[in-house]
Amino acid sequence: MSEITSPSPEIQSNSSSASSDNDPDPPIHLRLPPLSYSLFDAEPSEPNGVVHGSASSEPPKPSQSHEVVIRGSSEPPSPSSSGYAGERGSSSATSISAADDLTHHEIEELSIHDDPLPPPTSLPGKRNADEDDASISWRKRKKHFFVLSHSGKPIYSRYGDEHKLAGFSATLQAIISFVENGGDRVKLVRAGNHQVVFLVKGPIYLVCISCTEEPYESLRGQLELIYGQVIVILTKSINRCFERNPKFDMTPLLGGTDIVFSSLIHSFNWNPATFLHAYTCLPLTYATRQAAGAILQDVVDSGVLFAILMCRHKVISLVGAQKATLHPDDMLLLVNFIMSTESFRTSESFSPVCLPRYNPLAFLYAYIHYFDDDTYLMLLTTRSDAFYHLKDCRIRIETVLLKSNVLSEVQRSLLDGGMRVEDLPPLPPHSGSSSHLGYPGLPTDSPYRSREPGSGTGGAAGLWHFIYRSIFLDQYVSSDFSSPVNSPRQKKRLYRAYQKIFSSMHDKGIGPNKTQFRRDENYVLLCWVTQDFELYAAFDPLADKALAIKTCNRVCQWVKDVENEIFLLGASPFSW
Amino acid sequence: MRMGLSSAATENECVELCIFDLRRGQHEGQELDKILFFFPAGLPFSKQLSVVGLSEGLITFTRIFSPEAACEVIEAERHSHIFYEAEPDIWMVMVVEKSNDSEPIWRDDALRKVLKEIHSLFVMFHGTIRALLEKEPGGGLIRRHLYSFVMDYLRACKKRPPWNNCCCDYLVGKKLLLPSFRDCLKEQGTVQMLTIGREAAIEVQSLVRVLESSAGNMPCYSLILFQDLLVSTTLSPDDTINLFTYAVLRLTPQALSVGVSSWSYLRKGNTASSVAIESNIAIPSSASESFYGSSEVSPTEDSQYHVVRPLQSEKWSKGKDGYLVTDLWGAEVGTWVFATPTVWLRQTGERMYLCAYQHRNLTLLLLIPVSSIANGEQGVSAVKQQVLEQASLKILKVEEKLSKGWGGENAYHVSGYRYLLVDGDRNVSRATPPTKVATLTKESLLAMNKLRKEVELEKSRAKLDNVDCEKDMEVCIRAKNNAWVISRITRGRELYMVLEKANETLLYATDAVEKFSNKYCDGTFSLD
Repeated sequence: MSEITSPSPEIQSNSSSASSDNDPDPPIHLRLPPLSYSLFDAEPSEPNGVVHGSASSEPPKPSQSHEVVIRGSSEPPSPSSSGYAGERGSSSATSISAADDLTHHEIEELSIHDDPLPPPTSLPGKRNADEDDASISWRKRKKHFFVLSHSGKPIYSRYGDEHKLAGFSATLQAIISFVENGGDRVKLVRAGNHQVVFLVKGPIYLVCISCTEEPYESLRGQLELIYGQVIVILTKSINRCFERNPKFDMTPLLGGTDIVFSSLIHSFNWNPATFLHAYTCLPLTYATRQAAGAILQDVVDSGVLFAILMCRHKVISLVGAQKATLHPDDMLLLVNFIMSTESFRTSESFSPVCLPRYNPLAFLYAYIHYFDDDTYLMLLTTRSDAFYHLKDCRIRIETVLLKSNVLSEVQRSLLDGGMRVEDLPPLPPHSGSSSHLGYPGLPTDSPYRSREPGSGTGGAAGLWHFIYRSIFLDQYVSSDFSSPVNSPRQKKRLYRAYQKIFSSMHDKGIGPNKTQFRRDENYVLLCWVTQDFELYAAFDPLADKALAIKTCNRVCQWVKDVENEIFLLGASPFSW
Repeated sequence: MRMGLSSAATENECVELCIFDLRRGQHEGQELDKILFFFPAGLPFSKQLSVVGLSEGLITFTRIFSPEAACEVIEAERHSHIFYEAEPDIWMVMVVEKSNDSEPIWRDDALRKVLKEIHSLFVMFHGTIRALLEKEPGGGLIRRHLYSFVMDYLRACKKRPPWNNCCCDYLVGKKLLLPSFRDCLKEQGTVQMLTIGREAAIEVQSLVRVLESSAGNMPCYSLILFQDLLVSTTLSPDDTINLFTYAVLRLTPQALSVGVSSWSYLRKGNTASSVAIESNIAIPSSASESFYGSSEVSPTEDSQYHVVRPLQSEKWSKGKDGYLVTDLWGAEVGTWVFATPTVWLRQTGERMYLCAYQHRNLTLLLLIPVSSIANGEQGVSAVKQQVLEQASLKILKVEEKLSKGWGGENAYHVSGYRYLLVDGDRNVSRATPPTKVATLTKESLLAMNKLRKEVELEKSRAKLDNVDCEKDMEVCIRAKNNAWVISRITRGRELYMVLEKANETLLYATDAVEKFSNKYCDGTFSLD
């Protein structure tokens, strides 16, 4: 993981893309995004509309005067023309240059459009690109997502080729504008088991067509996140392109990012953060997390905006500069962007990202480095020339993490897993700070902990699973899935049930409700919302009500007992 | 109780109601031909066409994904469009304006049931819309019928200030009442039954037998009401609902004496618990008037079409013999005898004479097949006479028995509970009387309204998924204002309950439901 070498000064920035493909393992991946709206401008008449890589000798700045340009549309927008193709500019003042072969490498990975190669991760990119609205298979998809421009141009479709869906996209646009012309805004159309949900964000229209039983509020929230993901990649200054040219074609700018969106859409099926608006932490001992937090704080004090250490989708520690607050949704979108982009894994990267809740109009710069397959560091700054500084920071952090065994503790935690309903301690609580998740007398390698999955039938009183969300911390903890919720289908069903009860509890008009008990053929769900926390618990549908209530109290007590290990306490940059 | 209402009823609120046929007006320039009814009729045609255009567009669009169930509702920021496909390709769409940008204060399902009720009653009196269209493809006949009928229906829904009973003023600046969140403990499209003791039941049973036999060998049906409650029926459930609805709207003693307060949800004019919607329509423009036909022309004066207007109010009265009479169906040709009303039965497709008899609080409806009476009104008179001779004693007896056992309008109030019980299989409901429901806070009612929406979605999904086993679920919510809002569904029966002064524990609330279930629902909703 420390094999990354400094960029060789001789690899200078150049104006041709994907030309130097001889370097098999380029050390640095720089991404410089379009920063000013002029960069988005796809008018062929615009001079310098197309530059591959950066010819600029100025280091990129997070300001409108930026010169970095991207591949515009004077080249026909072919599916393989990644929006990033030219983003790898360089700050040649500091002798950093993009390795252009990497550019090429990345295009191959990201442009799944017409690329028959299977996606590199388990998350597929564009699926079923040959479908269109005339195909039965397309019509029968359970959940469609569309992004289109206000002139009806397709920007993104989860299924099918955007170009083939131009007519369909125009229909969606027609519906939206028809209602708009009547002085109204369409939100939802319901037909049988189908819901069509609309979201208008300035010149960008988002539509979801779903027969998944998810509540309207959830689907709308998902569209908000998809819009947020667009902003992460492009910033809201994209609007100005539409102001100048209503028929502006945005697709080339997002080219190659299909996988970012499909990964986000996939997370709507499994990641509670998408509706809880909270993040979750990797369970670690308080001391370990403190050690990680201390070095991150050090780095932040040296002028970094946010320093975030992650393990997969879980936070190990994070620190923000004074007064800088990071919204959990921004975090979700940032993590999705990084985890779904394969190239970040292979090399140290410096990429522009926008945090929609932090500032939708400007880019920040993210330095991303993977310490191992699971653990990675994100350092965010407003300075586009901070690469070397952030790299130094990373080296300092890495040294400390290795010295204090944080990385090995992280691996150990991954093996140990999180809270398991079978381990729910009886009341009164026994709390021990030295044990794993407050379970005394059970070392993490005990046979009790490593018993085979599927041997149990949940925890006490038929408890199958729970999610606890701390309102003050903006964090949640979710128990590990255990029998009988084993298969992906069962997990998804439970996830959807949580989603439903969440939306039922948090009605905009009358909510939030305080308690809810819901029993159907699948579960007993108990939900409890207080000023401090929210608890969602799933039980066997035959569970006894009184016992279930008692068990919920035990869960809350358990969470409080082990909060040092499962939550990131102390400095809370998440108050927005 | 009215406070929440006045805030909901602002000047701008309006409702539009449209009936159109997708098979008509398919060529450009002929789109107007699709429209069979539009309220308010004075709305410019361009606006009417825009409502129909959007509706048709979305019906087509949603069929791409959901061919078996097209568009049911459009929720926009300021309006809801509620769809109901009354007959194949014949759609009814109601557009209701939302107050502020708040969440809708009504349930789609309740509004759709209003549309369904309009259509069912229309078909009962006039036959299907399609049949009338086939009879006269020009559309004039159906438009005239729909216009009279729906306007009469809506008028029945209008609030009547006591100082103003002038018919021609109804449409100007008056309010239309639609079921709102305040009606969340009512169920549209169900009948309310009188609970009677064993002894009374035997008496009723024997009366029913006498009624049937008094009509000779004719296969006739009967419906008996006490006050606004159903006592007995020999009709199919669908036909029972239609005739029950009509009886409560126009025939029962409460309906005959306008202005007397009633606790039935069907008497919309007197309940203050509905959304008041300003129907800001002017007098229909001459263009639409000629298009839909004016409703203010009396049937006999209508030269072109003979339109019977069964919902016209204050047209029924009690005759000396106890039978209710009306001139709504005109007079028998060549005589001064009022024609006996006729209805179509949905179950059998038969046309029946409708004879209504009233003794104090007891109303009897007797339905005799038109085909079985050869000599028209004369024959009907004979049957009526026969019934009187054979059954009047029984009628007196039953009325007396039921009156004795009658607990008054709060008979079904259960202290401490606000509830609605629905038996979906039999289309029967029972609920806390509206005056008691009105003591609940707005927050509790909104919470119940929301819960009912959720449950309705679940139910319709289960139905669409063709799940063999019936939906079985239980939801107990402690709302922000600490009220418990509860829903139980089991074996086709539904219970909704609001407990405002309940203890804070879930177990307490559960226990309250359990007690109620054991005492009033034969333990249907009990856990064991």
